[in-house]
Amino acid sequence: MTSKKKSVGVIPLGNISEIALQAIAEHITGCFKLTTQILPPLEKPEYAIDERRLQYNAGIIIETMEAMHFGNHDKVIGVLNKDLFIPIFTHVFGEARQGGTCGLVSLFRLAKNSDGSSPPKSIIHERAAKVALHELGHLLDLLHCEHKRCLMHFSGGTEEVDEMSLDLCEYCSIYLQDKLR
Amino acid sequence: MDKKMSIMVVDDEAIVRESLFHWFKKYGHVAETASSGFEALEKLEKYPFQLLFVDIKMPGMDGIELLKKVKTEYPDTLVIIITAYGSIESAVKAMRIGATDYLLKPFKPDQLSLVMERISVQEKLVSQYNYLKGRLEKITRFDNIIGQSPPMEAVFSLIPEVAQSDSSILLVGETGTGKELVAKAIHAESRRSHLPFIAINCGAIPESLLESELFGHQKGVFTGATRARKGFLEVVSGGTLFLDEIGEISPKMQINLLRVLEEKKITSIGSREPVEVDFRLVSATRRDLKKEVAEGIFREDFFYRINVIMIEIPPLRKRKEDISLLVEHFLIKYSQETNKTVDHVTSNAMGLLKQYNWPGNVRELENAIERAVVLSKSRTLRIEDFSFIQPSGIQFQESLSLREMEKAYIQKILEEKNWNVTQSAKVLEINRVTLHKMIKRYCLERPEG
Repeated sequence: MTSKKKSVGVIPLGNISEIALQAIAEHITGCFKLTTQILPPLEKPEYAIDERRLQYNAGIIIETMEAMHFGNHDKVIGVLNKDLFIPIFTHVFGEARQGGTCGLVSLFRLAKNSDGSSPPKSIIHERAAKVALHELGHLLDLLHCEHKRCLMHFSGGTEEVDEMSLDLCEYCSIYLQDKLR
Repeated sequence: MDKKMSIMVVDDEAIVRESLFHWFKKYGHVAETASSGFEALEKLEKYPFQLLFVDIKMPGMDGIELLKKVKTEYPDTLVIIITAYGSIESAVKAMRIGATDYLLKPFKPDQLSLVMERISVQEKLVSQYNYLKGRLEKITRFDNIIGQSPPMEAVFSLIPEVAQSDSSILLVGETGTGKELVAKAIHAESRRSHLPFIAINCGAIPESLLESELFGHQKGVFTGATRARKGFLEVVSGGTLFLDEIGEISPKMQINLLRVLEEKKITSIGSREPVEVDFRLVSATRRDLKKEVAEGIFREDFFYRINVIMIEIPPLRKRKEDISLLVEHFLIKYSQETNKTVDHVTSNAMGLLKQYNWPGNVRELENAIERAVVLSKSRTLRIEDFSFIQPSGIQFQESLSLREMEKAYIQKILEEKNWNVTQSAKVLEINRVTLHKMIKRYCLERPEG
């Protein structure tokens, strides 16, 4: 029995630097061994802005994206540089639902260190790649993981994102292989 | 957290329910939502959720009312209150009612992770507590005492009866009969079972030390008293104090303990301040204290104080029908402890074990089985494995047949009973006619003179 290899689309929501998009796409190809393509950009998701919080509601963006068609791509990661939230949380770096088709990565908070300083671009791109891979993991039904260095470990701050490796732990790797089979 | 939990999010706002629902799904938890307190209670009736996230402001039944109902009907269910900035007072109230924690919304994702981490630690502790409690119950459990002979059945039926009262109990029995096990079983069956059980062997501690152990002492009252120490009579607080070998204590100590039992107060050595104490006393002795009272060796008033209820624990030789059951029990115990499979005893060996008088009672039998299991090279214990047991008057040799052994044993009993056939038949648990036939078959003769 053969299975079709999953294909992932990386789509900018608004004006996003080409290097950031490429970093995300190449890490998906390199780490998860999936075919990845950068898709033409969508409009900035102004429909999802919360006037009271002045943040963008990740749930609304994901629902909107899931109603769209993205060719033959099984999973799609949207990239934006707006501050994302889900209603109970102050903010999120990214968002995806277990087994869903669309996930999000926001560069907004990744571009700042916790002390307010700005990291070099390379660090921002690496953080974005990690968050994108983490959210893609959820789209592929991977759960949060206990291992601190695993890509599926939950990160509440940028330091934790930096501490996280670009690899899955042994168990999550096996689980991913099963999911992709 | 590695343990997956069953969680219900109770909030009238669909968007909050959905956010938390999807968040918990990412951890692999069993997640459910309810839009009102009523719906939550309905779902709780059908499924035992471990953790509830409850919004404080909800129409109909608010979070506080739901929390009260949950804590009354499902006290083990943990509740986390979610509240907005304006309702901190309600959150404090919720904590007083029994909420485990509260979160001010919107919260940082790592705040939720931290709360979940704390719950995980708490759950782990509760689970460890339950495990240890179970272990303790197993150790002190009533059915840990082995026996189905009529004298043991009598003891078993007494234990739950006497456990319910607070009267002092005196356990009388030879050494090794399991007096401490009975004391533990009484404690386990009593309303004090969740409180300490402290056992002290009065015969093993010198009197001066015993006084300080029981009553405690102040700092500096004697050499070595570098700090104040509470005595066991105080430490046992509410539990059961088991004084083994009570017959060994001095008349002075008898007076001191008598006073404690009457006044329920103690004064530690070097102190003038009496402290109230509450404990149930179970004592044990292998001596005939009634005789010692009559002889004036033991104080009569103290004897009656500790002997409100007396339970006699029969020696093993009077309940030989329990031996095979005990052997089976100890084989399992020591096979597990030594990691060896020794699960059989030949009928010859069992015959020897039943024939022996066991002056050290169950403890001696246990030691014998332990030794045999440790040294055994096969899964079956044979008569040779018990060569260290020397039944009085009969020396067993490897070549001894069952017939020869039976002959020797019958002869021994007849001699012990001065050739009184009725009494000998009783000991051998056969009828007189059978014994006469055996005497004839084995050509046994009464010695001259």
